[in-house]
Amino acid sequence: MKPFEEQFTAWVDGKLSGPELASFERELKQHPEAATDRADALKFGNFLRANPSAPKLTNADFFNLQIQQRIATDVPRERAVERAAGWFWSLPRLLVAGAACLLVAGVMFKTMIPSGTSVTAADASPYFAQVVESWTSEPGVSARTVYNAKDNVTVLWLDGLDYIPASYELK
Amino acid sequence: MGRAASKQVSSEADHAPPADELQLVAKAQTGDTAAFDELVTRYRSRAFSMIYNMVRNEQDAWDIAQDGFVKAWKNIGRFRGQSAFYTWLYRILMNVAIDSLRKKQVEGGTEFDDAIGLQNIEPGAATTPRAELEPATRLGDKEIRARIDEAITRLSPDHRAGIVMREIDGLDYQEIADAMESSLGTVMSRLFYARKKLQTMLKDVYETL
Repeated sequence: MKPFEEQFTAWVDGKLSGPELASFERELKQHPEAATDRADALKFGNFLRANPSAPKLTNADFFNLQIQQRIATDVPRERAVERAAGWFWSLPRLLVAGAACLLVAGVMFKTMIPSGTSVTAADASPYFAQVVESWTSEPGVSARTVYNAKDNVTVLWLDGLDYIPASYELK
Repeated sequence: MGRAASKQVSSEADHAPPADELQLVAKAQTGDTAAFDELVTRYRSRAFSMIYNMVRNEQDAWDIAQDGFVKAWKNIGRFRGQSAFYTWLYRILMNVAIDSLRKKQVEGGTEFDDAIGLQNIEPGAATTPRAELEPATRLGDKEIRARIDEAITRLSPDHRAGIVMREIDGLDYQEIADAMESSLGTVMSRLFYARKKLQTMLKDVYETL
């Protein structure tokens, strides 16, 4: 069975009929004001329809124009994205991209990887010592290293050290 | 239905649309914006009025109507001609309007007072609330419309949609249920409470006319 408010609404709008209407009208005997309420609801509906408050659409052509502009900006944007995506992933594009990658890799290999004919300092001199880091344990002593490529000599300069202990071992 | 207002939407379904309307729709479905522009021209005034009745603000109605038409354009490929074009468009417009009101409700933290007048409505009572009436004063049309606007804006989006579709646009229950994707019972229940609330708020206006 429908709730009362649903039946009442249907009754106001004349949508009840047959046994449903008869049953509801029997129930309405308990609500003596129902007829008045129905008339009131109908009057209210007429009142609403008699007082349309919607203003007229002004600048109607501009209304259309704005819609057309929105449609125009929406559609090409979507299609442009589709076109761009399709072109980017096309086979020629992939081939071009692959060739470009190979070219860059070749150039990097050529310039950054030493060729077999180049001679390192270590290869050239058995006395070569690569000074990776120079530091001293004494706070008043500083260490610097100088490499002379012409003579292939690395000089370790210890400033502030009075003498080198006999037990000193260069590591 | 037997009401003049019911012709607004139902007549679209009852009578065959102009022959060229189907052609315009077909053209629009192929991407013809000029054909869609013609459809906009045909229904813009009706759409604007319908949405204004929901939102009660001219600028909002303008924007929402445009949103609705743009949405219709984007979805026009889904229109299969099973109903009149305006019936299909009407659903889109109404849903855009309801969504907009709900969004506004969330963003603005607006609480639509669904309890307006309900303290006077017993759950099973058929009686209209007997509010104390203001002394009868003859209101001008402008004031009456302002009072209607004010009262309707105090309804929740769902109640507002129900009242507008039933009382102003004249849709039957099934059409309202379809548009709002709800059951017939829900539609009738919403109408019951929406009417009661509006009657309570506007009683001093419509009873003195």
